[in-house]
Amino acid sequence: MRVLRAQDVGKVLLKGGPARVNEPVSPRFRPGDRVHTRTINPTGHTRLPRYARGRRGVVDRDWGVFIFPDSSAAGRGAKPQHLYSVRFEARDLWGPAASARDAIYLDLWDDYLDPVEVGGSAAAPPDTPHR
Amino acid sequence: MNGVHDLGGMHGLGPIVREENEPVFHAEWERRAFAITMAAGFLGEWNIDMSRHSRELMPPAEYLATSYYEHWLWGLEHLLVEKGLLTKEEIEARVAELRKGAVR
Repeated sequence: MRVLRAQDVGKVLLKGGPARVNEPVSPRFRPGDRVHTRTINPTGHTRLPRYARGRRGVVDRDWGVFIFPDSSAAGRGAKPQHLYSVRFEARDLWGPAASARDAIYLDLWDDYLDPVEVGGSAAAPPDTPHR
Repeated sequence: MNGVHDLGGMHGLGPIVREENEPVFHAEWERRAFAITMAAGFLGEWNIDMSRHSRELMPPAEYLATSYYEHWLWGLEHLLVEKGLLTKEEIEARVAELRKGAVR
């Protein structure tokens, strides 16, 4: 078992524990892609908030490859994958009473997202095969 | 998990009070709670995501009635017991000693 000694505390804290992973994992999405968040209700840890499940958003940027917390928290390994900043219109989350000018950006992992078919007005139902 | 920690969109919790020149710690015990969480984390028995999940397991009513570093302490105790590094009895015995002022 590792032991943190007093003289090493400064060094260790400065080093931190980065969650970024240097592995060549392919992104499933690119900035500008329309995405649909999955409806999930896991009993373990997740970083997809309830208010953003089953909602539409647009990938704003790709932060790179990171440890997937849902897997890591359950002791099932790092499952490295792309993490994106996804933009949601406030009205898509909170309804017509929200401001049309407000938006919220959430950092979301690949496993939380499904593609929205280009040209379609609705997200593909989960049982529809992707073309 | 669909826990009480996932507060986004909830009503009735009141305004977020901003503190001028907010200190990192509001009491000495908070400084200590942070330090022992870091030190115990370094043992390598769990990762940061497990620590976060551990805090989410606090009973919801207790979670809402307690402060940030109380969540940290609860989560740490839960992990220490879960990993077999301490028993609940050992923690309770130590708390009882501290209450009596027998140790510092």
